[in-house]
Amino acid sequence: MKRTGIFVCHCGINIAGTVDVKKVAKELSKHKGVVHAEDYVYVCSDPGQNIIINAIKEKKLDSVVVACCSPTLHETTFRNTSKSAGLNAFQCEIANIREQCSWVHKDMEKATDKAIRITKSTVQRVRRNESLEPISVPVTRKAMVIGGGIAGIQSALDLANTGFEVILVERAPSIGGHMIQLSETFPTLDCSQCILTPKMVEVSKHPKIKLMTYSEVQDISGYVGNFKVKILKKPTYVDPDKCTLCDECTKVCPVVVPNEFDLGLTGRRAIYIPFPQAIPATFTLDIKSCPGLLPIACGKCADVCEPDAIDYDMKPEIVEEEVGAIIVATGYDLYEKELLTEYGYGKYPDVLDGLQFERLLSASGPTMGKILRPSDHKVPKEVVFIQCAGSRDPELHCAYCSKICCMYTAKHAMLYKHHVHDGQAYVFYIDIRSGGKDYEEFVQRAVENDGVLYLRGKVSKIFEDNGKIKVWGVDTLTGKDIEIDADMVVLATATRPSKGADELAKKLKIAMDKDGFLAEAHPKLRPVESVTSGMFLAGAAQAPKDIPEAVAQASGAAAKAISILSQDRLYHAPTVAKVNINLCTGCGMCVQVCPYDALSLKDGKAEVNEVLCEGCGTCSATCLRAAIQVKNMTPLQVNEMIKASLGG
Amino acid sequence: MVNLEELKKEASQILKEGKVKYIIGLQSSSNGLLPVPAFIKNPEDVEKLVWNPACVYNLTLFLRDEKRRKAKEKEPDEKPVGIIVKGCDSRAINVLLQEEFIKRDDVYILGISCENTGVLDEKKLAKKLKGKKAEKVEFGEKDDFVITTEDGKIKIAAQEVLSERCLECKAHFPVIYDVLIGEKTKRNIENPFKSLERIESLPPEERWKFWKEQIDKCIRCYACRSVCPMCYCDECVVDTISFVVTPDTPAEEKAQKIKWLEKSPVSSENFVYHFVRAIHLTGRCIDCGECERVCPLDIPIRFLNKKLEKEAKELFDYEAGFDPDQPSLVSSFKDEDPEDFIR
Amino acid sequence: MAEEFEPKIVAFLCKWCSSAGSDLAGVSRMEYPSNVIPITVMCSGSVSPLYIFSAFNKGADGVLVSGCHPGDCHYIKGNFYARRRIALVKKLLEYVGLEPQRFQMSWVSAAEGIKYTQVIKDFVQELKPLGPQKKLRRIQ
Repeated sequence: MKRTGIFVCHCGINIAGTVDVKKVAKELSKHKGVVHAEDYVYVCSDPGQNIIINAIKEKKLDSVVVACCSPTLHETTFRNTSKSAGLNAFQCEIANIREQCSWVHKDMEKATDKAIRITKSTVQRVRRNESLEPISVPVTRKAMVIGGGIAGIQSALDLANTGFEVILVERAPSIGGHMIQLSETFPTLDCSQCILTPKMVEVSKHPKIKLMTYSEVQDISGYVGNFKVKILKKPTYVDPDKCTLCDECTKVCPVVVPNEFDLGLTGRRAIYIPFPQAIPATFTLDIKSCPGLLPIACGKCADVCEPDAIDYDMKPEIVEEEVGAIIVATGYDLYEKELLTEYGYGKYPDVLDGLQFERLLSASGPTMGKILRPSDHKVPKEVVFIQCAGSRDPELHCAYCSKICCMYTAKHAMLYKHHVHDGQAYVFYIDIRSGGKDYEEFVQRAVENDGVLYLRGKVSKIFEDNGKIKVWGVDTLTGKDIEIDADMVVLATATRPSKGADELAKKLKIAMDKDGFLAEAHPKLRPVESVTSGMFLAGAAQAPKDIPEAVAQASGAAAKAISILSQDRLYHAPTVAKVNINLCTGCGMCVQVCPYDALSLKDGKAEVNEVLCEGCGTCSATCLRAAIQVKNMTPLQVNEMIKASLGG
Repeated sequence: MVNLEELKKEASQILKEGKVKYIIGLQSSSNGLLPVPAFIKNPEDVEKLVWNPACVYNLTLFLRDEKRRKAKEKEPDEKPVGIIVKGCDSRAINVLLQEEFIKRDDVYILGISCENTGVLDEKKLAKKLKGKKAEKVEFGEKDDFVITTEDGKIKIAAQEVLSERCLECKAHFPVIYDVLIGEKTKRNIENPFKSLERIESLPPEERWKFWKEQIDKCIRCYACRSVCPMCYCDECVVDTISFVVTPDTPAEEKAQKIKWLEKSPVSSENFVYHFVRAIHLTGRCIDCGECERVCPLDIPIRFLNKKLEKEAKELFDYEAGFDPDQPSLVSSFKDEDPEDFIR
Repeated sequence: MAEEFEPKIVAFLCKWCSSAGSDLAGVSRMEYPSNVIPITVMCSGSVSPLYIFSAFNKGADGVLVSGCHPGDCHYIKGNFYARRRIALVKKLLEYVGLEPQRFQMSWVSAAEGIKYTQVIKDFVQELKPLGPQKKLRRIQ
């Protein structure tokens, strides 16, 4: 029989206000195996912790239950306290009688009864706790960053500048992400390319960064500190070392397909460079649009390539790497055209999305920075901007706010006015969300200095009429119907997790939220960590974000990764699954359910890889023979807890 | 009609060729209508083999004994065991393969198709014979049984005396075999869960009364567990009677035995036992009906398993024992699994 | 007048979502009945059918299993296994005639303090008219 000590915290009146803490201590002192029970006003205070330490020493306690606040708060505190008095940390458990009891009940008698049950149940658990030591594993001091947008670039640079090797994986032919497509950035109106390209160049020249563009993560195994990654390097059919960027190949290529970089506003050839400042600076032969290499259907690009850089025999390559930490920065895409039919998006050429308008504004864009509408290349005199196109619309589209649209719409309207002085910009909005340094001032500038007309309300219908785009809406502030004969409509379409992020999340075994964004480990306290240890999140892959936020999170993720990479060894919670060989029949059901591939069959019996196991216990509920259990939360313990919860 | 001679010929041949170490089959009993298991090693002994409508047993049960025996042997004979199975029994083999309890090479399967009949329900027959004693039961020419009583032979349509489970059977011919005896006849089962309707249609309180009365009767003799080919665990989680103690079993582990239920056979404890058994057989039970047949108190155990078999089919489109390569019911899921019961 | 029946409920709460959700209810001081004794488990997927049978056997008037919404599982997919397993247990218990209200499952995320209190309030409300659970309670 164990010798358990009970410490009931008053938490001032937070607990003692509704729970009779003296009675809890008194009742518990009668409980089997309890040799010490007392209450104290703040057990987490220094004197409070000393009470625990003294009791452990004087009464020779071998286990401790602190009845206090949620274990998410002070479990670590009290485990360390117990440890400092010579106990094993895992001989200390928390009974949550505040969040789950005193704070939610008013009747003292009932709350006290419940607190007693909760505490007894915890005593029953701790009585069967094993002493455990954290599991230690070595660390591979190298990181992988997935996604080469601004977030991925920032994370990679921070890691590399700290001295760690980084593999930066990007699926497109160049890094740069969406930021490189932007014209100017709010609220300062810096040229986006001008501030991003120096970072891109730094990445390409950095001795610690291995850049893998046109590559995708194919498979991942292992665990924090020791991941094994397989990266698929797709063939570009162009040797970047030989390519001189002479551009002769595109002149002869017979294929024209929509140019992704200009969001279809221009075309590109099958062999192309995404944009002049692309990193790596080389051409890529897009095999999907090429007439074919098996057999070679055209071959013109190779014919004209003087340096002989084109290699039709290039094959996909699988590169295996070992890394200790992973940062996922897969970014966003705009809401699919097909899903947003009500605004004539995809139907009328002069209804554009925000990124297309960025290209029109961009000095390097299809119109060299002149605002011309796609249908007839005329300067649009009336432009309607529609916010929340697909956002904040739980019935039909996305329930969430895409966050960046208020600001970029203000910027669009402002820049439009800077280009077309006699034009009129209208903005339909629900609210203006301009929280951020200098953001509100920026929006006010658009309204006051540039005369952008903000209309609070939604657009009901958009249709083409006599060369104009008719926009019907309502101004809910005046209650008036609005009809605008627009030359162009720009939709602030919702941002979504980038295509393929869901598949990647499955490969990485990191969770997604209901909207498909990657889920953080805790919404407030662990916003850059994924639920899988050793994997971190940066940028718009986690939630819609603007550039400074993406950069801040990227640096945060890098710091988190560094905190792993800078260790000699890592420690892992030892509350992992354990197999009873005598009972195991080797049916393999636990192996099938394990979310972490931590189980395998060896000589007809289940075997736990303790380093991979996260202790979720799904195996133990699946096993028909109780042959696998999670340490310190065994079925025996749960059964005892049930008994204590219902006892009396 | 099942050709017994063909069965004997196949059995004799595999023994002669040394393909199997022995054959698990059935032979006549000197006591009663039902045959008894036979373990045939010599080719000449195949003459003992019988096959008739009273061959109700699921012989795959003996694969468990075989496995345990083999585990103890120092130099085990790695040759397969021959085993005679009906369609339902063959599904049990698939489940055992799925759970890696046996390997395909461990068994040589002599499959027998029930064609348009099945096995006898002794109680139905007794009722039909009105007190006369059946001495022998054989398959007739046309989906009927030939019964020998003191008054001579009579023919009864099989449908009238078949086990209820045979009337709902989805595997009247073996789904896995090395040799098939008989035809893969076509059979139409309108509602494979028809027999459940009797209980399902009762109002909840009536249903409770029914089950309480049934489960009250249980004396926890564990015959249902002993006869079940799926209850192959060395130790049953709900009862530590067969707790495996090996020289290296630590005292601590012995002390860690969980008392999920009390030993006393009262309904509350019996319920825990039957619940656990039913849940542990979900997606594994292949409705051989043996548990119910051997129950000395006539508890309709099959209706517990059958109900969950029905739910597995309806909720998750899962059927046990047809595909040894599918993941088991509770170690798999589909994104679209129903959740209308969840708040 | 007889005292109103107060059902005893055992709730298996996933540490990452429902238990955190109930913590949030606490932090927000949302009042709800005190009939539930929470047992925090690592994942709803770790709740064995035996726990549920055992709780009823030991006299629970109601049992709740609460986990993360589909797709939100801290352990990626534990709640999907739970959903399947719990569905079967629920069908079995109802089949033998236990009142369906006595065994329930809910999805409550760490952010859903309000939902947690509602689940508990509804549960207690539904159990009160049923009276004590005697069907499966251990006969002494």
